[in-house]
Amino acid sequence: MIFALIENGFLSLISSAIPASTVVVLAAIGCLLGERVGVLNLGQEGLIGIGGVYSVIAVVTWGVSSPWVALAIGMAAAGIAGLMFAVAVVVFRASQVLVGLALALGGIGLSNQLGTNRNGVQVRAQFSEFSLGGSLVDGGVREAFFAHDPVVYVAYVFLPLTLWFILFRTRHGMNMRAVGENPAAADAVGVSVTWSRIGYSVLGAAISGAGGAYMVLSFTPTWSPDIARGRGWVALAVVIFAGWRPVRAVFGALLYGTMFSLGLTAQARGWGFLFNATDLAFFLSMLPFLVTLVAILLPAGAAKIGKRVRSTAAPAALAIPYSREER
Amino acid sequence: MNTYRLERRLDVDTKKSALTRIAGALIAMAVAGIVLLLTGRNSFKILFDGLEAIFGSQRGLEGVALRAIPILMTALAVALSLRMKIWNIGSGGQFLMGAFAALGVGIHVNGPGWLVLILMALAALVAGSLWILVPALARAYWDVNEIITTLLLNFVAAQLVTWASLGFWRDTEAAVIQSTKRVPYRLAELPGTDSLTIALLVPFVIAAVLFWIFRSTTIGFEIDTIGGNPRAAAFAGINVRRRILLVMLCTGAIAGLGGMLQLSAPGARQLGPGYEAQFGLTGFIVAALAGGAMMGVLVGGIFIASMFFAGLVLQTKGLSVYIIFGIYGLILTGVALGEIAARYRLVRVGDVVSSERVAS
Repeated sequence: MIFALIENGFLSLISSAIPASTVVVLAAIGCLLGERVGVLNLGQEGLIGIGGVYSVIAVVTWGVSSPWVALAIGMAAAGIAGLMFAVAVVVFRASQVLVGLALALGGIGLSNQLGTNRNGVQVRAQFSEFSLGGSLVDGGVREAFFAHDPVVYVAYVFLPLTLWFILFRTRHGMNMRAVGENPAAADAVGVSVTWSRIGYSVLGAAISGAGGAYMVLSFTPTWSPDIARGRGWVALAVVIFAGWRPVRAVFGALLYGTMFSLGLTAQARGWGFLFNATDLAFFLSMLPFLVTLVAILLPAGAAKIGKRVRSTAAPAALAIPYSREER
Repeated sequence: MNTYRLERRLDVDTKKSALTRIAGALIAMAVAGIVLLLTGRNSFKILFDGLEAIFGSQRGLEGVALRAIPILMTALAVALSLRMKIWNIGSGGQFLMGAFAALGVGIHVNGPGWLVLILMALAALVAGSLWILVPALARAYWDVNEIITTLLLNFVAAQLVTWASLGFWRDTEAAVIQSTKRVPYRLAELPGTDSLTIALLVPFVIAAVLFWIFRSTTIGFEIDTIGGNPRAAAFAGINVRRRILLVMLCTGAIAGLGGMLQLSAPGARQLGPGYEAQFGLTGFIVAALAGGAMMGVLVGGIFIASMFFAGLVLQTKGLSVYIIFGIYGLILTGVALGEIAARYRLVRVGDVVSSERVAS
């Protein structure tokens, strides 16, 4: 009886944590892609907003009915923002921290402004459920793992595995990592540092934008101001937690999503342990950020104390502009 | 025929770099004006309305001064950390926690006003530095990047204040639904003004002290050395980790004190959502514009505070707060590009050839 209850609670938590973390997974993969080639884009919060608002505009104003087309439009918009960022930091070698924060601020401002007249409008172009292996399992397990949008499977399975394969199993991926670790050496063997940095930071921005598009097309599914609400920053933290490894990033994002849906579940069911129900809800709303903070600190702390941790260091040239003249 | 090309400077002059940063910010504002024009808003009218709102009355000037206090405090906090090339993006959270602690003291301690206010200030200093303690320890001893850790705590602080204002410190008597109790104590008023208190003097005193520290003391020199090259500083015998910890705790304390000072502003004697009002981010932009120069922070802070205030006034006339965010983003980009522009100079290709001839 008790086992059934715990199992039930766990499965329902998972079934809500998976969609809640999808945004973070996508943004984290987007960040990771740029950071592997040495470009730190702190503007995730803005990219999620831009991706989201243009998907909403596509559906509500331009009358796009396919969610995939709306997703592509959101990604393209975020990609254009990413291109502007990349030109400033790669071509002009401006400070990645400053321009990244500018993108975060400007992106939030732009998306909220564009979304002003579309607040709370239902976005009527949603993904249909894609029940993977639906006939094999049933009940709670199916609800938890196999009854989500197709985008969820792309974000959790396809993208991380593909990125892992490219980064660690192909020559192209080795070149990418070289650009992030030692751009001068990569340049010397004929890898174009400029183009790979621009290309992958634009692609990464588009994937982060897909996170915002997923939010408005499926998760909420409506536009509300400040749509990212810190998820972009969490995604940046998740990349650190994951030690710049794509598959681990998925688990980092799930940790956030679990804490997030724990708060929602507690609120919905009126749980009250330690505090009364209202106070518990407030406390739990702080938890996703606190847990993310602890998650970044743990690997670094373990490495200092002397526990053997597989390489968790940032790409050596992360956030350092590359200039041939300065080698 | 002479053609021009860009050449890298070997030494970047700090004065030139400041000028190009300011130029970058101004160009960014011009771009913002053009964008506003193109989207059907009269940016000249916005500019004149803004100027009128500021200089049209004493209330306008006091309004700017009131906004300048929190902005200058967070900007000084960020500027201090920038001297060490450390990015404290969590000044908004430290600001809130300073206000939170000061409010806690203010509504629970009874005593003579001056004593309670001093206790409030001390509580704010401690709370601000405690809020950055974990990121500071992690940065100093575990080499964990401080950008994300300080920023994540902003969200926690905002949630905590929401909790306080709706929950444990909620004002049950007032009609306002979401707000804490009011602090009954207020700093002494500045003579000759309607709304200003001696809080206005604090950022100027702190800026002067910091300016002196960096100009004339060993510790200031050590911090600048670490900012220039931490490895070299370590070889020179400076305890880099301890200096990082010290500086980060001080930045938190300054931002926290800013939160306490804000409690004396009219209409802000209680905490609620919107108390922080993006002062942290605004201060960050000021510090980036000033590039860590304390006197530059004062000038830039007053400039940005004027914009902030004009934005608030124009908001009542239909200019959305989101547009201000967009303009901030543009300004920050302009500053970042301006910083780079100072590193290059235009040279005539003909001159280069002749100088080579001299060399051979």
